[in-house]
Amino acid sequence: MKHNGSFAEKILAGRIREFGRADFSKNLKAADEGGCGVTGFACNIPVAGKHIFEPSIRMHNRGNGKGGGIAAVGFNPDMLGVSREVLDSHYMLNVALLEPSCLKALKEECVTPFFNVAKEETIDRMPDWRELEGLEVKPPDVWRAFVRVKPEVLKRFIEENGFQGMTDRWAEDEFVSRNSVRLNKMFYASLGDKQAFVMSHGRNVMILKIVGYAENVVRYYKLEDFQAHVWIAHQRYPTRGRVWHPGGAHPFTGLNEALVHNGDFANYHATCDYLKQRGLEPQFMTDTEVSIMLFDLWNRVYGYPLEVILEALAPTGELDFDLLPPEKQALYDVVQQTHIHASPDGPWFFIIARNIPESNTFQLLGITDTSMLRPQVFSLYDGEVQVGLVCSEKQAIDATLRSLAEEDPRFSPVADKYWNARGGSRSDGGAFMFNVTPDGNGGKSLACYDKFGRPVEVERRKPLDITLAVTKPENYEKDIQTLFADALKDKDAVKLFDSFCANAAGWDYNTLRYVVANLGRTARRQKPLLNTIVEAFTLILDRRFSLGEKKRSALVRIVNEELNEIFRALPKITDTLNIGYYSLIDAAARKELRPPIAVERALAIDAKDFEPEGDECDSVLMADAYRLGWRKFVVFDMRGQRFHGCGFGSMTSGVRMDLYGSSGDYEASGIDGMEIHIHGNAQDQIGQIMKSGLLVIHGDVGQCFMYGAKGGTTYILGNTAGRPLINAAGHPRVVINGTSLDFLAESFMAGDPLNGGGFVIVNGLTMNEDGGIIFRQRPYPGSNLFSLASGGALYMRDPNKMIVEEQLNGGALAELSDADWNLIYPYLLENEKYFGIKIDDLLTVDGVKKSPKEVYRKVEAVPLAILRKIPSTDDSVWAANAATS
Amino acid sequence: MHYRNVWSEVPPAVPIPTPSRFGRAIGKYTVMITEACNDCLKCVAVCPEKVFDVQGGKLLPPNDHLCLGIECSNKSSRCVRNCPVSAIRVGLNPSARALGDLRWTPDLLMSTWYMAETGRLPKNDIEYRVGDSGGGFDKLRLVFPKRLPKPDLDKSNIDTSIDLNRREDGRLKITIPIPVYGGGMSFGSISQITMLSRIRGFAAWGSYTCTGEGGYPEALYPFDDHIITQVATGLFGVREETIQRVKIVEFKYAQGAKPGLGGHLLGDKVTEAVARIRETVPGSSLFSPFPFHSVYSVEDHKKHLDWIKAINSRGLVSVKVSTPSDVDMVAVGSYYAGAHIVHLDGSYGGTGAAPDVAKKNIAMPIEYAIPKVHGFLKDEGVRDHITLIVSGGLRTAFDIAKAIALGADGVVTGTSDLVALECIRCHNCESGRGCARGIATTDLELVGLMELAWGTQRIINMLHCWREQLQEILYRFGMSSIRELVGRTDLLTHLDYNADAPDDDIRNPVR
Repeated sequence: MKHNGSFAEKILAGRIREFGRADFSKNLKAADEGGCGVTGFACNIPVAGKHIFEPSIRMHNRGNGKGGGIAAVGFNPDMLGVSREVLDSHYMLNVALLEPSCLKALKEECVTPFFNVAKEETIDRMPDWRELEGLEVKPPDVWRAFVRVKPEVLKRFIEENGFQGMTDRWAEDEFVSRNSVRLNKMFYASLGDKQAFVMSHGRNVMILKIVGYAENVVRYYKLEDFQAHVWIAHQRYPTRGRVWHPGGAHPFTGLNEALVHNGDFANYHATCDYLKQRGLEPQFMTDTEVSIMLFDLWNRVYGYPLEVILEALAPTGELDFDLLPPEKQALYDVVQQTHIHASPDGPWFFIIARNIPESNTFQLLGITDTSMLRPQVFSLYDGEVQVGLVCSEKQAIDATLRSLAEEDPRFSPVADKYWNARGGSRSDGGAFMFNVTPDGNGGKSLACYDKFGRPVEVERRKPLDITLAVTKPENYEKDIQTLFADALKDKDAVKLFDSFCANAAGWDYNTLRYVVANLGRTARRQKPLLNTIVEAFTLILDRRFSLGEKKRSALVRIVNEELNEIFRALPKITDTLNIGYYSLIDAAARKELRPPIAVERALAIDAKDFEPEGDECDSVLMADAYRLGWRKFVVFDMRGQRFHGCGFGSMTSGVRMDLYGSSGDYEASGIDGMEIHIHGNAQDQIGQIMKSGLLVIHGDVGQCFMYGAKGGTTYILGNTAGRPLINAAGHPRVVINGTSLDFLAESFMAGDPLNGGGFVIVNGLTMNEDGGIIFRQRPYPGSNLFSLASGGALYMRDPNKMIVEEQLNGGALAELSDADWNLIYPYLLENEKYFGIKIDDLLTVDGVKKSPKEVYRKVEAVPLAILRKIPSTDDSVWAANAATS
Repeated sequence: MHYRNVWSEVPPAVPIPTPSRFGRAIGKYTVMITEACNDCLKCVAVCPEKVFDVQGGKLLPPNDHLCLGIECSNKSSRCVRNCPVSAIRVGLNPSARALGDLRWTPDLLMSTWYMAETGRLPKNDIEYRVGDSGGGFDKLRLVFPKRLPKPDLDKSNIDTSIDLNRREDGRLKITIPIPVYGGGMSFGSISQITMLSRIRGFAAWGSYTCTGEGGYPEALYPFDDHIITQVATGLFGVREETIQRVKIVEFKYAQGAKPGLGGHLLGDKVTEAVARIRETVPGSSLFSPFPFHSVYSVEDHKKHLDWIKAINSRGLVSVKVSTPSDVDMVAVGSYYAGAHIVHLDGSYGGTGAAPDVAKKNIAMPIEYAIPKVHGFLKDEGVRDHITLIVSGGLRTAFDIAKAIALGADGVVTGTSDLVALECIRCHNCESGRGCARGIATTDLELVGLMELAWGTQRIINMLHCWREQLQEILYRFGMSSIRELVGRTDLLTHLDYNADAPDDDIRNPVR
């Protein structure tokens, strides 16, 4: 599409001519929201709508059932009853009829005079909405039509607006967009009683929304088997109680895109004004609508490349800006100066599903605000099929993948890669897109890119075909079984793990599966070996080692499933005749909880059907179990359950918890004494106000890690997302082997680390699939490090002196002293024990072993002049006073 | 009876005279005795208010804060006329006028001191209901019916209690006998003695006091059942154990006095004891961030509440927010997130530590916010399932009654408690040695200016007087319970629109 600035002016002028100048006197906001769960996935093959189900249900606690919506892009034409040609070329109008009787008038006013209609229908739905549990309001009837603007109408439109020279398609797009504004004005905005509104009008894009949870959209409109390449869904949490129509629900559309949003804007009024100055007036009064209007303006009207749009939405700032190449700086500077007042300010995260007809691309796009104030996780699976996902919570991603894999064995319930975007950064721009494009062989392929167009890839390895039956490898008895004989005889889990990982690279999937299944069988049959094998499996999950041609995601899947089977085969809590070390409890049996008998020590909790929070959740059950005498807990097959370790009270040393699966938010928050091991990635708000104890996370951890912590020791294999250890005091001791995205240890107040205070060690490394260590070029990418801190210290592995003063706001760089090294050395030793990351490797720079002083740097608090005089009151005053009373 | 008692026990809610800690309390009038005095002690006999006191046959310096005023003293039966040597002069006290400010006028300060000393309303012409700010509650008046609607009501049995849990969710049912509890003031911002005085004073009345954000000193443990612990943005001193100790947990999202500014405790006040409780560095200024870093949306908020509920399985959850223009949405959002109490903090409050620029310019005045939220919750059909508590510059029993008539269930106070402890509103709370009265300080010497038992009794007395005033107000409205007053805006009038509103002084008799 050839863009020309004067056309943009003409488009906007035409709008003002048609709809009049906007009313600047008020920018009403219909409801405050912010709370939401968003999810989306894109796939190189069309997949059915039912797969948006699971993640939507898993995120009920992010919505309140007062607004849900879905959008899909890239359909199978047969399902819509049109030809491929019509699907690709025609605009698909989806109009919500709140008052079905208005359809005739609506068609007369807004459709028939202007459009040739290739197909129209009122879409199929359930006969009685009351049959759907949780619906309080009847969803609208939806009238769908495939339309093109009549040639003579378009010709007149072009002439009237001076669009000569513009491509016809561009003009037609504008006509369709403007016609929907007109329709909404007539049947929605201006009328006291709202009758109808356009949900979507783009090509190969559909939006449906209701007052209710998102998954009921799929049920009500019978989309379970409806196929598309890209799906997004939204659980809305409007704060206003009574909602009778879904006008304010997400997604919102521009033209060929649909946007869902989690967060809200502080500058809603300013952005509204910006749009109104350009003749664009919001009709639904939510910041989500405003977001997509900005996107549509910058994309369709101004014709900006996506990178510029993303920069306008989430500007690059601080150190990140300074480190951009000069030509980028020049461009971004102009973008920021022009659009900063429309750049959404506040916590937000967008997921956009787009059809880009010009490049034959279906796109799923996720973008976070500069400060990363909303949760977001991206992931990618690249096997026989390719799928890219972006969600508010990792557990929603896992739910989607599980749903996909249950139906189609080419999918995997475990993705190859999970990551967070770093908002407004030079490293990824805080945005990732998954593009589904023709692969040249009649099919489609999916590729992932960041804001700058740099690809995100996973190593191409052989995918696992789960449908193949597992057979006994020929050499099993001779070569493989013997590997484990010694370890099993000695009940030595580490030895068992060592022989497993020394040989796993050479096995094919069949052998791997057979070995795991066989060990699993042993564990189930021979009680004395149970713990050894569970421990060894756990090590297999936690550690990275060479797998040859095989995918790690496949190994994780196989071992996790086997572990689940082992745990599910344990004696149940109700079975008091069969007593062992473990007892198993699930949601159905939660009322049967009892104290441990005889040799029972550990409670295995099948988390699958537990609520994520509330009085019936598994973490509340565990706190009760602790009071009954249980001290060891294994929680498996987790699906986003929260708060594990909370509610146990003080001084809980001796308690140990192992969490398997998709653990949820607020794990280990407030723990005092116990130890928790999270086998896999952890989510947001982990370890908040932690007092003491041990937390080991074998993966990444989300936002606000250890916010306000007072103590405790934690080891993290991967990264911490934004704002870890904010306002932490006391003496927390933390080893982060990856890095933090930004705002690490802001307002850290953890005393003098050499005198009992707290500190954080950042090693700044990543691991490849096979466990090889790769050190990051910069151990810490963010612009804010240790800001406003008054105590504690950071120990950064930074042999190349990449940390600069500009990143510190109040802290100071210092050389590592012997006392510092003696302080952190034991923690690095422990770190080696948990993750196998050797101190020698940490001290090796470019193949040469260096002294600790050359490798680690200390960031410490600067004593402020104002603090020189410290008053010396203590409790004695109180004691003296109490005595006299 | 004396107010001295065992420190770890909750004292009885009985008013006991508790005179000023300082030599001569400040009064509206000053009583001077010239050298001509011959110690004939006639004045002692004629004064009904015990202004004159004797020790060893000698006249002591007069308690001039008890003096009923010039008019009284000039009556033929009273002191001035009866002094044989004309040694008594009664006049306006010039130092009184130097006190306070337009919100807390000298009269209001002195009347509150009087209530805290005696548990009664002042008898002289001191204004005890409103200040002189020219707005807010100072312009609202209660409109009593001309005749008593129900003269048979037993005044002392009029119910002033409110329920704090109206959700029917299986958590604790808590009813407080007075419609007021103590707002959050941290150990660090005030001394431990001040903190405990408030806690014990409110506990005596069966009510609660919030710890503020500064930890939970061990000395508070005997009063766990009367304490609201605060979870605020800095999470100072917040531990699972402190959350589990109490029956009510308060989330502080913002303070009406300084919304959007977070909290700050300057280094001078961060003594070793304060730093120990908060586990920070002594002498380092402490800042609470302005947001909860873990809460940027209402679904985060729900998760946050769920978390506290997972830690404390029986307790109630209060959500304290300031009053932005969309405060109604915030309130209803909190209800849906599972809060039991929504606590609106309006813009008139704050001690001297809150910056003036914030106190005077941000957030909606509470008298606007209350009806807005009350009406919105009613329209949503959830008003009966949530307790609406308000604060922000509520100083007197009349302010409480007005707030409730506007739509609140109950109120929270802070500054008035400090005034009861003889705060003079000098606005130096932020500095380490700034508090001349040893209230808002952690300084070794200044803290010693106040005794716990004394402070406790002052609060008890003030609350006693407030309760009696509320009962009198309800009596005049013919109501048998304070719950009947909620949302009765028809019982209020605004001086801007009704300049000749009748006087609502309850010291005047009623027919």
